[in-house]
Amino acid sequence: MAILVDKNSKVMIQGITGGAGKFHAERMIAYGTNIVGGTSPGKGGQKIHERPVFDTVAECVSETGADVSAIFLPAQFVKEAAIEAIRAGIKFLVVIPEHIPIHDMLRVREEAVKYDVTVIGGNTAGIITPGEANLGIMPDIAFKPGRVGTVSRSGSITYYVADTLTRTDYGETTCVGLGGDPVLGSTFAEILLKFEDDPKTKAVVMCGEIGGVYEEHACEVIPNMKTPVLAMIGGIYAPPGKRMGHAGAIVEGKMGTAQQKLDMLAEAGAHPCKTFTDIPATLKKLGV
Amino acid sequence: MRLYEFEGKRLFRQFKIPVPEGVVVGSAKEVYDAVKKIGAPVALKSQVLTGGRGKAGGIKLADGPNEARTIAEQLFKLKIKGFLVERLLIEPKIDIKQEYYIGVTIDRAKYKLVVIASGEGGVDIEETAEKAPEKIIKKALSIDEPLYTFDALAIAKQMGIPQALIKEGASIVQKLFKMFRSYDAKLVEINPLVLTGEDKLIAADSRVSLDDDALFRHPDLAEAGIEKRHEEGELTPRERQATDWGIPYLDLEGNIGMFPGGAGFGIMGNDFIHHYGGVPANFMDSGGGPSPERIAKMLVLLEENPNVKAIFGARFGGISRCDDFAKGVIMFLKDHGLSKPMVMRMTGNMWQEGVRLFEEAKAEDPSLMAKVEFHGIETPIEEISKRAVELAREAK
Repeated sequence: MAILVDKNSKVMIQGITGGAGKFHAERMIAYGTNIVGGTSPGKGGQKIHERPVFDTVAECVSETGADVSAIFLPAQFVKEAAIEAIRAGIKFLVVIPEHIPIHDMLRVREEAVKYDVTVIGGNTAGIITPGEANLGIMPDIAFKPGRVGTVSRSGSITYYVADTLTRTDYGETTCVGLGGDPVLGSTFAEILLKFEDDPKTKAVVMCGEIGGVYEEHACEVIPNMKTPVLAMIGGIYAPPGKRMGHAGAIVEGKMGTAQQKLDMLAEAGAHPCKTFTDIPATLKKLGV
Repeated sequence: MRLYEFEGKRLFRQFKIPVPEGVVVGSAKEVYDAVKKIGAPVALKSQVLTGGRGKAGGIKLADGPNEARTIAEQLFKLKIKGFLVERLLIEPKIDIKQEYYIGVTIDRAKYKLVVIASGEGGVDIEETAEKAPEKIIKKALSIDEPLYTFDALAIAKQMGIPQALIKEGASIVQKLFKMFRSYDAKLVEINPLVLTGEDKLIAADSRVSLDDDALFRHPDLAEAGIEKRHEEGELTPRERQATDWGIPYLDLEGNIGMFPGGAGFGIMGNDFIHHYGGVPANFMDSGGGPSPERIAKMLVLLEENPNVKAIFGARFGGISRCDDFAKGVIMFLKDHGLSKPMVMRMTGNMWQEGVRLFEEAKAEDPSLMAKVEFHGIETPIEEISKRAVELAREAK
């Protein structure tokens, strides 16, 4: 078991003929990910890495049965590409590019909720279910099948956490990159609940950072979870956050500093960790 | 990114939101003519990219051009939260009968736009929100939903705008919302919206933050001199240099030059340095898939920063390739040279190729890597952090 992707997922790449899309498609295939095809408008009928290229996602879905897509396109094209994928019947969408306009992501989220599609990113390194599927840009060297799930706003933190879990023989069920942009396709709370439903995941490491509100909202689900949650928050020593005017404070309340996030998570029942080496120590204490 | 008050007001004017007829001056000697033109009494308002300028003495009134010039001379010497006042906005003094608040922002947890309004605007709006939340009006909207006139009228009524001005008030709320959507804003505020002694509504101040990632859709802003900047304050010269090179970079007060991979570890790596007793000199993010040239430039920023005593490097290749990383480091070592001790770790995507490049470079010229301590996946990053703190201590 795993969450969101496994060896049976039929994965397509939007932007498969572009530099990054082509390079990482090859890596994903080499890992054993079931890549069934991709899109690149105007290049329908061509092949890349022996996979068919289509002009539209709808064609790719109907010809290959793709149910998962990863977007490797410049940020300004993401809104349309995501809506295209969602309407074509893709059930899980990974948005790799960074710097996507916030208003565009709000639109994508609307569409995703309407069609019951899970979106992660933008600015995510992707998702990996070790030994089954690697979808995105994560280096497989850090990962090994195991029993701990991870969800992080940062790609590099995911690698370090997985590297730690791998070298201490815990291994990982699935590692999810939530994304680093200010407005994200999914929240920590939503991903934590998916891990809660996965019998193979014995603990979850969530890594947040200064700014935003998604860590705070995870506190609403953690108290009701049976699976233990370990929490790391980046930016404890960062210079004071940039406030977003009165309106931000009125809407989001006094949220956002790393220490506040960590305190709130601890109060909700998560186990705080300061360095990567704290993670295996905590897992040991919890008997995972 | 935050706009100056006068820039925000230009956008207000573009959307036909009433604003005072102001003049922007960059020196005290321009003030006399400006006041003559506007007519005294006037308000002199310091233009800085930070809040709390009123309390810091950045807003003054003057009854005539000579007095205004004397005050301006003082204001141009003022620093507000460390930011020097470089421009003043001079406006006719407003006769205030009542202050309202209108804002639009994003509720990121609920994925909605939110229009916020209150009949009690001014500097204490947050306190009002906390102590008397019933005085704050909120209307959440989906990204594609319009703000209908009937909703705007309801908001204006709840704000307590006088009946004679109710259509005008509702229209200002709608215009502000339209501006928010049109310019990819993160936040727009009119605080206060003033009811004047002559019973007119006027936006006395502006607070506008736009999404830098959407600037490509708004070339008119660059033409008006509005370019990428911080949420607060202007960039330091080194930050400006980094921005020109496309590298997210912030100056901090320590002595360990931080040369990490992505933004996430950029933030947490700084925590690790603190955790082991050091202080970083900067925050930096290579961005996804940096080219060797960009990697070399990141190192140039640290080498040329006199505060940096030792360099911490980390690369976990994901979208970025370790061979490109190694090429960039070698390019820097050859073309620029490293005078400071550096400890770094490299693993991930294409790491074997990266190691091979370093070994080749070293074989070619053993002195090249003399200042570099190089580690791979066998060394935990915590050890690299500790070592960087040690190196900085030894270098003092």
